[in-house]
Amino acid sequence: MKTFKIGGIHPNDSKISRDCKIEVLPVPQKVFISMAQHLGAPAKPIVAVGDRVKTGQVIGEPGGFISAFVHSSVTGTVKSIAPRKDLAGNCVVPHVEIEVEPDEWAEGIDTSDTIVTEIPQDKDFILGRVKANGVVGLGGATFPAHVKLAPAKQPDFLILNGAECEPYLTSDYRIMMEKTAQIIVGAAIMRQVLGGPRTVIAIEENKPEAIDAMNNMVRMLKDNHGGYDGIEVMPLMKKYPQGGEKQLINAVTGREVLSGKLPADAGCVVQNVATALAVYDAVQKNMPLITNTLTVTGDCLPAERQHNYLFRIGIPLSYIAEYAGGIPDEAAKIISGGPMMGKAIANLDATTVKGSSSLLFLTDAQTRRKKASNCIRCGRCADACPMGLEPFLLYRLYNAGNTEELENNAVQDCISCGCCLYSCPANIPLLDNINMAKGQVMGIIRARAAAAKAAAEAAKVEQK
Amino acid sequence: MKNFLVSPSPHIHTSTSTATLMRDVVIALMPAVIVSVIFYGWSELLVLGVSVAACVLLEYVITKFLLKKENTVCDWSAAVTGILLALNVPPTCPWWVVAVGALVAIGVAKMTFGGIGMNIFNPALVGRVFLLVSFPTFMTDWTIPAGFITTDAVSGATLLGKYAEGGVEAIQGVDYIKTLFFNIGGSAGEISALALLAGWVYLLVRRVIKPWITLSIWATVAAVSLVFWLAAPDQFTDPVFNLLAGGMILGSCFMATDYVTSPMSVKGGVVFGVGIGFISLMIRYFGSYPEGMSFAILIMNAVVPLINLAFHQKKYGRK
Amino acid sequence: MTQTIIWTIAIIAGLGLLLAVILYFVAEKFKVVEDPRIDEVEKVMPGANCGGCGFAGCRAFADAAVKAPNLDNNYCPVGGNEVMKKVAAILGYEIAEKAPQVAVVRCNGSCEARPRTTEYDGVKSCKVKAALYAGDTGCAYGCLGCGDCVAACQFGAIHMNPETGLPEVDETKCTACGACTKACPKHIIEIRNKGTMPKNQRRVWVGCVNKDKGGVARKACTNACIGCGKCATVCKFGAITIENNLSYIDYNKCKACGQCVFACPTHAIQFSGFEPKQVTPKPAPAGEQANKEA
Repeated sequence: MKTFKIGGIHPNDSKISRDCKIEVLPVPQKVFISMAQHLGAPAKPIVAVGDRVKTGQVIGEPGGFISAFVHSSVTGTVKSIAPRKDLAGNCVVPHVEIEVEPDEWAEGIDTSDTIVTEIPQDKDFILGRVKANGVVGLGGATFPAHVKLAPAKQPDFLILNGAECEPYLTSDYRIMMEKTAQIIVGAAIMRQVLGGPRTVIAIEENKPEAIDAMNNMVRMLKDNHGGYDGIEVMPLMKKYPQGGEKQLINAVTGREVLSGKLPADAGCVVQNVATALAVYDAVQKNMPLITNTLTVTGDCLPAERQHNYLFRIGIPLSYIAEYAGGIPDEAAKIISGGPMMGKAIANLDATTVKGSSSLLFLTDAQTRRKKASNCIRCGRCADACPMGLEPFLLYRLYNAGNTEELENNAVQDCISCGCCLYSCPANIPLLDNINMAKGQVMGIIRARAAAAKAAAEAAKVEQK
Repeated sequence: MKNFLVSPSPHIHTSTSTATLMRDVVIALMPAVIVSVIFYGWSELLVLGVSVAACVLLEYVITKFLLKKENTVCDWSAAVTGILLALNVPPTCPWWVVAVGALVAIGVAKMTFGGIGMNIFNPALVGRVFLLVSFPTFMTDWTIPAGFITTDAVSGATLLGKYAEGGVEAIQGVDYIKTLFFNIGGSAGEISALALLAGWVYLLVRRVIKPWITLSIWATVAAVSLVFWLAAPDQFTDPVFNLLAGGMILGSCFMATDYVTSPMSVKGGVVFGVGIGFISLMIRYFGSYPEGMSFAILIMNAVVPLINLAFHQKKYGRK
Repeated sequence: MTQTIIWTIAIIAGLGLLLAVILYFVAEKFKVVEDPRIDEVEKVMPGANCGGCGFAGCRAFADAAVKAPNLDNNYCPVGGNEVMKKVAAILGYEIAEKAPQVAVVRCNGSCEARPRTTEYDGVKSCKVKAALYAGDTGCAYGCLGCGDCVAACQFGAIHMNPETGLPEVDETKCTACGACTKACPKHIIEIRNKGTMPKNQRRVWVGCVNKDKGGVARKACTNACIGCGKCATVCKFGAITIENNLSYIDYNKCKACGQCVFACPTHAIQFSGFEPKQVTPKPAPAGEQANKEA
């Protein structure tokens, strides 16, 4: 069984909520829809206070090339448009506050359950629908999907990321079990748009049911419909961070994305299974991305309080926590996302966004950092680093302020997966500092690139 | 409402800590310790007890009163140094000599550099070598004390000692199988290669250490001594003898693989191992000391920072 | 025996001579002609190499000062006027005396005034904390309390007050080099004129940088500037401006009369070097505000 070659760790996968079926989360009286739910420029709100909006109606337009449409996830009246605190407590991004009324869908949206298996041939039609419906990558980075689905050269591989290597998270697993056909149709649509590359649905071996379900459905679709050739399911060994783009490419194809390059340069496009589902909804149903699946889990929650919810985007996290039975007493840290790369929530009143994937409760014993002691030079951080870096060295160089050596030792390649800090027996806060170092070095690299560009342009002008 | 924790990711942490790693090393050393106590009896128990107690106590006293830092006794590293030092001295060594060795090991080799993780040289080896040059009579007195299954004290000499004195003829007819299991005569760590190997395998299984340093030492010793032995069998000892005799197994399995004083990359580890193997063999063949493992490891310890600079692991997406 | 000794001496002497010749020619060839004034200037510099002047160190400053046409853009905040006078004397320039400056912490959100809303559990660094989130209190602008400024200060002039959780500047040690202002990710520390009024001792400043609306700011911190503008109203010298719900005192205009201190309903305005006295006998609007709230 395949996996990526360099580094990686094996934390306990703790998929406690794996057997909890997806439930539809009711909508509260008010939702707050953020204008920055994607990587890149925030969207510009195009509604005014007092406007009545329908479910699925566009309320935010892209604010740049790398940006995305934002749609209303509910029907109701716009109460305010103002910055609201995000889960880090920063109050910068405008949110559209909507007072909720019963659903009234915007025109042209197919809300039926019928699965449309016929794949449209027109690439521009597909890309147009993906863009118009605000689809972004749901694997964590929320990169606008229409940009990623239009690479400069034709890729050899389309990889569907069903690894879900983060412990605790089960939302991808649930949709693979319950919305198998839609995901595969979504994959086939993306394959169509990318010019028919080999399409691999990569799933870690700790989800055998999902692998079976996917295999069966691929077979069934291939037997009964055209346009599903070249899609295969590939089980992978369980190892974190297999779901990282670069690691997944290495695991599936054996290739490596060169430093500073994009996956497209290695002939690969990676999309999450949840993105495939969103693509299906967008293209086949003209349904904008206004819902996603979210796991509510944690060891301190009893079995009956583990949930996987289908939620409307814009519902405050505090409402979800409340609906799921409140915050458990033992919880010491609440995390949005997985325990390895997720964000600790400082403000539970923050709203859900397109990329929200979980509400994870960790206890004090599980999560509180232990006091750091001296580095014993065991090299475990270097063994664990999936990019082959030497975190102990980067940590020292950052403390010494040596940016030149940091760059020579490839700190800019760090993917912030957290393997180094996870595996350090001396509890040294390696990643905290390496992230800072990465920021510094990236700044220097960008400044250098800008200077080089300016110099080249100046030279051009001079020639003329 | 209580205040929730907020920190950068990751939010979970491995249960492996410095203390669990060091505890594993102590567990891995237990077979060798038990065998040595059985064969060397009370005197070995005294050496072990004094060594461990002195190391732990000194570390506590120095961190608490001299450095006024948080004490690091709980991380088991002082206990590891204590056991290794005890396994490196003759069982007949007087207790105060052992205590001096502990003082040098912990006080000089470890704490002056800043405690655990900061030392350049393996503390136990520095202690041993200090004793070897300061108290040569005690350190080369290989009288075998009465053990729990053997009866009387007899005078003995180590195989390497015999070779250094009398050349290859002196060690004719040595039973290698016996050497593998129990080889009476020598320091406690030289008795049973098998007990030490059992501990080494335990460390490998628990993923505390990687095998490359040890294997490269063995490969170098075997290869180099094979060449010498084939060239002049009446002058040089054979590879099997060199692998089993003296502190080779203890040194290659437990001393050279010490985290702090060995290179961090696999490639660097191999270079480190080759260096140790070669130097120790050269001392055995041509040096005035019968055994060169301690010196070889200490010399290579000094080179580790350079090795770490020169050898890095393969990075993703880079040549 | 004798021969050995003679040979040894001869060889060593010969070697020494040879090397001396080589060294001489190398030194001649790579000789760098430097303005001797650079050395002179460097000698009178404080030698802290803090970078407060904007150059890499004292030597770099000396080099720049010698090459510059005047000293307008080269000022050593650590040495102050005294050192600059010496530098000017060496280089034969005229300089205008600059007012001495000092670092001022513009946050007075003590632990009491600004209750914690979360518990920070990462590495003790303001930079890391600021990159992670808005901070462990309701105020997204205030001091994070991890002491990056303390670590940045080469002169031991800043320390954290464990009671308030805020940094305090020791003005006798502070050289106004500006290292702390650069280290603070929240830009709370400002280099201000040490004082405005007699003998440059008195100064008044707004101890808050919160730009939130009054109510929001007040909710997060009882000592926050709420942008009410009362201080600007009482100021007779037009030194106070309100922008983005935040008051700012221009130290060039401020006469340190201290009236704004009494006008401020949240005690956000701080002072140093004197005890402000209220001039108007009737209770200031601050009193009314307090009554209303009570």
